[in-house]
Amino acid sequence: MVASQKTLVVIGRGLAGNLAALALSNSLGPSWRIVQVGQPSTPPEDSFYGNVTAPTAYNFLRSVGLDEPRLLRRSSTAFSLGTHFKNWLGGASWMQCHHSPFATPAGAPLHHQLTRLGLDLEPLLVSAQVALAGRFAHPPSDPGSVLSRAEYGYQFDPMEWACLLDQSLQSSPVEIVECGVSEVETQAGNITALTLENGDTLTATLVIDANGPSRRESLCSGGAFTTKRTVHAQANQTSTPQTGPACQSVEASAQGWVSTAFLQDRALGLNVSAVRGNNAEQQGFNIALGQLDAAWNGNCVAIGHAAAVVEPLTPAPMMLLQRDIERLLGLIPTGVNMEVERREYNRQYRDDIAHISLFLTTLVKSDDVPDSVYWRDAQPTEPDEKLQRKLAQFEHRGLLVSYDLEPFNDEDWTILHWGKGLRPRQYDRTADAMSQVDATQTLASIRQSIEQITPRIPPHGLYVAKLKDYLERQAHG
Amino acid sequence: MPQFPRICILGGGSAGWMTAAALATKFPNAGGEITLIESEQIGTVGVGEATLPHIRFFNQALGIDEPTFMKTTKATFKLGIEFCDWGKRGDRYIHPFGDYGFPVDELDFHQAWLKLHQAGKAHRIDDYSFPILAAQEDRFKIPEGDVNEVGSNFGYAYQFDSSLYAKFLRSFSEARGVKRVEGRVVDIGLGATTGHVETLSLEDGSKVEADLFVDCSGFRGVLIEQTLETGYEDWSEWLPCNRAVAIPCESKGELSPYTRATARTAGWQWRIPLQHRTGNGHVYCSEFISDDEAIAQLLDNLEGAQLADPNQLYFKTGRRKKFWNRNVVSIGLSAGFLEPLESTSIHLIQEGITTLIELFPSAGIEALDVDEYNRRMGLNFERVRDFLLLHYIATQRDDSEMWRHFRALKLPDSLDERLQAWLSRGHIPAYEFGVFLPPSWLAVMLGQNLMPTDYDPRLDRYEMDELHQRLETIRTQTADAVRATPTQAEFLAQYGAASRSPRAKAAS
Ligand SMILES: Cc1cc2nc3c(=O)[nH]c(=O)nc-3n(C[C@H](O)[C@H](O)[C@H](O)COP(=O)(O)OP(=O)(O)OC[C@H]3O[C@@H](n4cnc5c(N)ncnc54)[C@H](O)[C@@H]3O)c2cc1C
Repeated sequence: MVASQKTLVVIGRGLAGNLAALALSNSLGPSWRIVQVGQPSTPPEDSFYGNVTAPTAYNFLRSVGLDEPRLLRRSSTAFSLGTHFKNWLGGASWMQCHHSPFATPAGAPLHHQLTRLGLDLEPLLVSAQVALAGRFAHPPSDPGSVLSRAEYGYQFDPMEWACLLDQSLQSSPVEIVECGVSEVETQAGNITALTLENGDTLTATLVIDANGPSRRESLCSGGAFTTKRTVHAQANQTSTPQTGPACQSVEASAQGWVSTAFLQDRALGLNVSAVRGNNAEQQGFNIALGQLDAAWNGNCVAIGHAAAVVEPLTPAPMMLLQRDIERLLGLIPTGVNMEVERREYNRQYRDDIAHISLFLTTLVKSDDVPDSVYWRDAQPTEPDEKLQRKLAQFEHRGLLVSYDLEPFNDEDWTILHWGKGLRPRQYDRTADAMSQVDATQTLASIRQSIEQITPRIPPHGLYVAKLKDYLERQAHG
Repeated sequence: MPQFPRICILGGGSAGWMTAAALATKFPNAGGEITLIESEQIGTVGVGEATLPHIRFFNQALGIDEPTFMKTTKATFKLGIEFCDWGKRGDRYIHPFGDYGFPVDELDFHQAWLKLHQAGKAHRIDDYSFPILAAQEDRFKIPEGDVNEVGSNFGYAYQFDSSLYAKFLRSFSEARGVKRVEGRVVDIGLGATTGHVETLSLEDGSKVEADLFVDCSGFRGVLIEQTLETGYEDWSEWLPCNRAVAIPCESKGELSPYTRATARTAGWQWRIPLQHRTGNGHVYCSEFISDDEAIAQLLDNLEGAQLADPNQLYFKTGRRKKFWNRNVVSIGLSAGFLEPLESTSIHLIQEGITTLIELFPSAGIEALDVDEYNRRMGLNFERVRDFLLLHYIATQRDDSEMWRHFRALKLPDSLDERLQAWLSRGHIPAYEFGVFLPPSWLAVMLGQNLMPTDYDPRLDRYEMDELHQRLETIRTQTADAVRATPTQAEFLAQYGAASRSPRAKAAS
């Protein structure tokens, strides 16, 4: 033990706890002792982190040892070019794909030319077309290739990732205690000691509550959880002889929605609906959607589902979890007075939650929803100034309003608006700098190069299989 | 599609001609529909010489050739601002355009520096910054190549003669169809039902009609305030300086690629070296010093002979309550004024122009455009304000009434929280929209002796020696890169940007 060592206790051994413990252990030096407590089982609610990540997860995952070769070889993780919304509200279908910044013909954002010419967006998005064709290849770095514009994340199983992380933790300096917390001692809003189920007592400088949505009051002391509704979720999996497409699909149903993610050898399904009556044979779990008003209270920081639960309709839950951990890493307290850290953490946390919910609200907001409890409850009840501005400005003139450091970028938003059928009433006149003929031609040539390249890209499954082969040979040769 | 709006710009200072040039370039098909009115009799404010790096993108978007532009406006390069006597008398530091050092893995450079500094193992943070060292030795080169390499991770701006810049942009705009009208606007016709400005009448009886008016009439705000009575948000509580006097002088010595801002007892003094002369000014608060004293102080501190009579200016810091009101968009001094401590006015003009283009009312004035414009510009102004205020409150000075005023000031919450985050652990909350990024905040806070008590604990995973080694490599590479850099005078000559006219001499 190092003199004046501080103790950080992570409660929870699911995906959130494991990611946090490993990230903390990689980030902090020997002056911190890290203890992780909890039963080694992944809570069922972890499936509510969803089955997809956004491209922005890449470096983060690598930093906790979930690098691509390992993910492909040691788990059934597959690639994700986005989410295919099918038969969504009002019957809309589109590929919510991941894409690098759009081309700006004549200096005006792409969608202004589309508005001007009355063209569709999706045929111009290489990641959408490749995903819809069931194909995948890594985007090359050569900007001359139209595929270089694609970006990708992963389709994954949270349980599997939690296990992989657990393996890494076993050989890390993190001390793992295989039991839960039985008692929490607090003083003046700070946790002073944790009594474990095995009778041991831990004194902690900082406590990370990664214990999922059970939200033990004594841990998130002072933080009120605001929820408007609880939903029912049911996860399932089926094995597939062939790897499915490099995109998750999400479909609206009368009672809620259903998602299917395609991993190497199986499909993971999630069925979300309104909470039904107390039916004993009903499988799955109920989960309250909402968030703690403040995620850091006293010396306890709630992360992941312990802090906030959003529906896994997009990579949002994983985006939030990653941001929770990165925010925490950037604000590891320097002393016992954590006021500065707490305030700054909570400020960023609230912004992130607000910005994520702008995207999700836009996704589910519609005048044309099935007549059911789930969909009625999913509609926003109070107007949100930031959201109204985004929607009104896009509809008015295709203007993308953005706020500081939003998790979803301009491309995500353009694709979402377009997918939901929102079209600007007018386009930016700077688009006129290019003649109609030239603009038509420029866009046609983008479309053609996508059409040409798509059939030459291998099917997702074949690509993964070959890549794994190559990785195996490399690992052994 | 409705008719493209006819545009009238009132005012031919930097704001007016920058707006004209940009609109004529962006909307080439509007030819003949952009009119600019200016009055030689009224003239321009005659100051505004130092800029921020963003102006390069403005010029580039217009397709302006850099050496030609520099030669014509007698411009010098600017690598940053040197602040003297701000933290304490005798202090000096440079706020550079660019980062310090390079991140240590995913961690900010300054955090590594703080750790070494606390162990007594760091050099001054300046030694890890190419633009600072180059500025101190009057050297300059254009950053090229990989921004992850020493000697390429910086930006630069210009110091120029603003009246020559306006002239330059005038010929540029006229060549692109902008119609210039000389004369004084004496009467303004408003639409009876809309309340929109419809016609401007000039002294000679001629009239200019338009659909959209850009008010670039300077402090007067002829349209936005005198006509539409939009109202002004007074920020004197935070930025109490309300007067300035400007005097150009002969330049002495090497041509320095930076602006200097020296704190005084009731304000501060600028020094802006151009190719042919040096611009000087004293910005002050009339509550704490008389005009005569202010001029005397300035004259006492000129490096060379005075070249012109003092130009006295009066202002109130703050912003127009609405930058865009009805069919009038105010850009430049008519929109608001924050003192020129960080050379932000021309930048705010540029922001105004870019935002106007993005929200251009091509189909008529619509509330949604107006509202979004005002929101964005409001945020820009407010974030600049907080950054300017930082210079005054991050100080140990209490040797005059003004400094004691600032020591007692209650800060806006946003700024107060920033200071605490910095002082406790060197943390700088980031934002996306706003001109000053974390390295700028860092430069001023460290430069004015706000030293954090701690650093990011993640640095403790490195051995001290390893960190020391990493920083030493950056430091020696930076010094080497600076040694291999030409002086600014050499660079200007070789770049074809040197003005042919000799340095100005005072009449003797
Ligand atoms: C002391 C001081 C120092 C500054 N230093 C800097 C600096 O270093 N960097 C920086 O970026 N900015 C600086 N600024 C700001 C900068 O000077 C202005 O932002 C810039 O010059 C733009 O001014 P303007 O065009 O809005 O107004 P002006 O230059 O005042 O132009 C107003 C125009 O309107 C015309 N006009 C007015 N009324 C009428 C009428 N009735 N009829 C016809 N025409 C009319 C005038 O003739 C003139 O052409 C400084 C400002 C001050 C006060």
